[in-house]
Amino acid sequence: MSDAEALRRFVLDTLADVGATVSEADPLSWIQVPERVRSDLEVPSTFAITFDPDRVGDFEAELVAPGSYFLERIVALAASRGRWDVARFDAADAEWIQQSLSEGGLGSETGVHLETVELGETVLLLFSFRVTLVSDEKRERFHLIAVSPTTGSAWEVDSAKADSGLTALPQARIEPDLQAAYRLGAEKLRETTREAVGAFRAASLGLLEEEVRRIFGYFDRTIEEIQAADPDGSQDLLRAVRGERDRRLAETVERFDPKASASLCAIRAIQVPIARVHLRLPQGRGIDATLDAWSRRVDGLACDVCHGIDGPWIPYAGAVRCVRCPPTPAESARPRGRPRSDTPRRGTRDGRGSARSPRGSTARSRAASGRRRAP
Amino acid sequence: MSLPVSEAARPADASLSLQFDDADADLLARAFRTPGDGPRAWALNGEAHRISLIDGFDRLLAWPTLRGVVRYPHQERTCLRVLREMRGRAILADEVGLGKTIEAGLLLKEYTIRGLVRRALILTPASLTGQWREEMESKFELPFAVLRSVGDWERRPLLVASIDTAKRDPHRVWAQRTSWDLVIVDEAHRLKNRLSVNWRFVAGLSKKYMLLLTATPVQNDMDELFNLVSLLKPGALHTYDRFVERYVGSADGRVPAHVPELRDRLRDVMVRNRRGIAFTLPPRRVHSLPVRLSPRERRLYDDVTEFVRDAYWSVSGRMSWAARLTLIVLQREIGSSTFAVAETLNRLTQSPLFGAAERERLEALRDDARAIPSNVKVDHLAGFLRSSDEKALVFTQYLRTMHYLKGVLEGDGHRVVIYHGGLPPAAKDAAVRSFRGEGQIFLSTEAGGEGRNLQFARTVVNYDLPWNPLRIEQRIGRVHRLGQTREVHVVNLWAQDTVEAYLMELLDRKIHMFELVVGELDLILGTLDERRSFEDMMMEIWTLRQAEERRAALRRLGDALVRARDQYDAMRERNDEVLRDVSDEVPA
Repeated sequence: MSDAEALRRFVLDTLADVGATVSEADPLSWIQVPERVRSDLEVPSTFAITFDPDRVGDFEAELVAPGSYFLERIVALAASRGRWDVARFDAADAEWIQQSLSEGGLGSETGVHLETVELGETVLLLFSFRVTLVSDEKRERFHLIAVSPTTGSAWEVDSAKADSGLTALPQARIEPDLQAAYRLGAEKLRETTREAVGAFRAASLGLLEEEVRRIFGYFDRTIEEIQAADPDGSQDLLRAVRGERDRRLAETVERFDPKASASLCAIRAIQVPIARVHLRLPQGRGIDATLDAWSRRVDGLACDVCHGIDGPWIPYAGAVRCVRCPPTPAESARPRGRPRSDTPRRGTRDGRGSARSPRGSTARSRAASGRRRAP
Repeated sequence: MSLPVSEAARPADASLSLQFDDADADLLARAFRTPGDGPRAWALNGEAHRISLIDGFDRLLAWPTLRGVVRYPHQERTCLRVLREMRGRAILADEVGLGKTIEAGLLLKEYTIRGLVRRALILTPASLTGQWREEMESKFELPFAVLRSVGDWERRPLLVASIDTAKRDPHRVWAQRTSWDLVIVDEAHRLKNRLSVNWRFVAGLSKKYMLLLTATPVQNDMDELFNLVSLLKPGALHTYDRFVERYVGSADGRVPAHVPELRDRLRDVMVRNRRGIAFTLPPRRVHSLPVRLSPRERRLYDDVTEFVRDAYWSVSGRMSWAARLTLIVLQREIGSSTFAVAETLNRLTQSPLFGAAERERLEALRDDARAIPSNVKVDHLAGFLRSSDEKALVFTQYLRTMHYLKGVLEGDGHRVVIYHGGLPPAAKDAAVRSFRGEGQIFLSTEAGGEGRNLQFARTVVNYDLPWNPLRIEQRIGRVHRLGQTREVHVVNLWAQDTVEAYLMELLDRKIHMFELVVGELDLILGTLDERRSFEDMMMEIWTLRQAEERRAALRRLGDALVRARDQYDAMRERNDEVLRDVSDEVPA
């Protein structure tokens, strides 16, 4: 969908959602709005809008386009509604548990054994945030952060998948602990945006420094030139030059001062099936995790290396690490007194036709090592 | 003593963390206490935010949807360059006629959409404040107000002010106390002298972004260029001594040196689009239609003139401003039509501005005017319009003349569309559409089509001639502007031995005004060392009693205009020499 089509869809859907009747008579759309939203939109009960700037004024049609006052009001109206919502995710069968484990790197193919499963239900909270970075320019992003109050974890959600498989539960009565969940979500948002915020700050300060250097260079040399031309010259002139320099500096600092802010746009509660599972790692250690059918996340684990709580995971030496962390020395070390690897080498008779799988071979090697060192 | 750079530049904290909105707490307190607005409202909430996200200056948001603006690639390139590379501080130095006002308005709009500009100040010569306000409103939907009182500095976040008013106390104090997001200075060559009150006033404004608009950054000498750039970005052309040493090649400061290097430096702060390479305005053809008035019209004209001269140089010698203006109007109306003047004469018969004897004369003039059933000039107009199938814009200054013409032209079988300042906006839109469609003649007063795209027509008829040449230029500018692809015809109707004949002598024969590009005339008149308006000068010449005196005064004004035109031509050459190729862009 083009930007223009998306804009049109959004405006007409918003009007329909507030109870307006829309009759399209290209290039105009005739709108009849209920009394309760007339003041929000600052419109009469019936009016025309157009998306074509050349048709503005036909029947006093209001222009709807980026920067137009009407669009501003429609955006404000839409943003003031739908600020909370309840939805439900239903899983067709229990397959999702194995699938979630596999996607999380803990499927049976990795040697992890699913020992017990306890099914249940929980409410996840999905917070939408608008993040704004401003200096002499503005950059904004929209973020969806999910929080599981059950496990205390929070993660970023891809906007494109946020609605998938959900059914509405408009009348459901729930009262989640929003404050605690919000704090977790906000912390996650800070973490998610840290790099972008840092880069923005660095760029702004780089520009500020360049400007400040130029201003100092110009005014200081100007003062030197004035003094060289007339050593006994007027101090008033020098004071005036310094005054102008200080004013310009203040103006520049204000111009490039970076600011980062976030505001909560809306909250959605999602009722979702969960599974509390007990897993046995290949080396024999047992771990507990919580899975949910909507996000398919394996929750409740911590990386043995970085202590992060986001998978996917790699089981090693009786523990798990996240895929972002490099292998540990213990994991990389060759087992003493054993061959380098029991994987047949490529190009040899045994290795002919075998798929090259460094991960698989490492896993086996680690497993062997782990078994050897186990008490 | 200077602060170390790093100390001044860096805020105290070494990192920047997200600040969460206080309003979040309200939402947390209210959410889920009542049922929500439904899943569609939730989705639209997200869409509202996504649709209104700003991502730097990746593209121009307002550009595709501006009203009544023909969009040109050089303007889009200029805006993106100012936003991205110059970070909102630039000299827009396009040659005359390439749309600097549009570029400035668009930049302002892009900043306001992004929420980066909330308070903006436009500083212009007094004569242009209304025009700027109107253009910002009609083309960019930006509700600017013209500065009227001191209270406006606080009340109006978007303000247009005459620089001459704003720089004077108490306005100056208010203007400099305010923190402006954007300051636009039109005709910025008026800031050429850093010792002037204008320069110091603008330098003293606190602003985030600033746009300086001028087609002629260098008017006399290179100092002016330095002063302009220093206002925007001090140091961009070194210090003054270093600038003179490096970039000025003569003692009088008029000859530039190391020009390629200078242009390199200017590229950081200046955009200059030029006509004539990828874009050329089509030529104009001027048709002069002198008219010999009928004996009754002639007599009325002479009688009205005599009344005006008598009253102008009345014994009291000190006329009120209102009386003076009334006489100018009277003299201008008789140059338009007997219908225009008749009603004013009637009104003046009751006016306290005149004594009993004068009122008696006015009554007689009114009766003479009313007794004239038709004007010869309209026959010439009808004859010209019959000779052409083209759509034509016919301009007159007066509504009464307009209604008279409408009757005559419709009687002649033309489809006439009328347009004037009193029409409501929707009727104005309808008039333009009708002219674009079936209409043949767009009959308009001075308000005619200001800001409208009428380039689909190419013939402008001046049924009467405003004494202010800039108004004549504005009329022509309705069709001879960016977007016009065909030769433009300008038809001037004027009666012999009238003020209008004087005007033609000065403007057409002396300075070839009708060959100039729209905008150039203002620059020429700007170099006239003259405090009086052109209208006042015309009136003073016209009211001289002796024909010999009138001819001599006209000659003097003509010579001054010729000098002004020569000065302008020389200035244009100087700017070309220094600023040619200063933009990396393909010339417009």
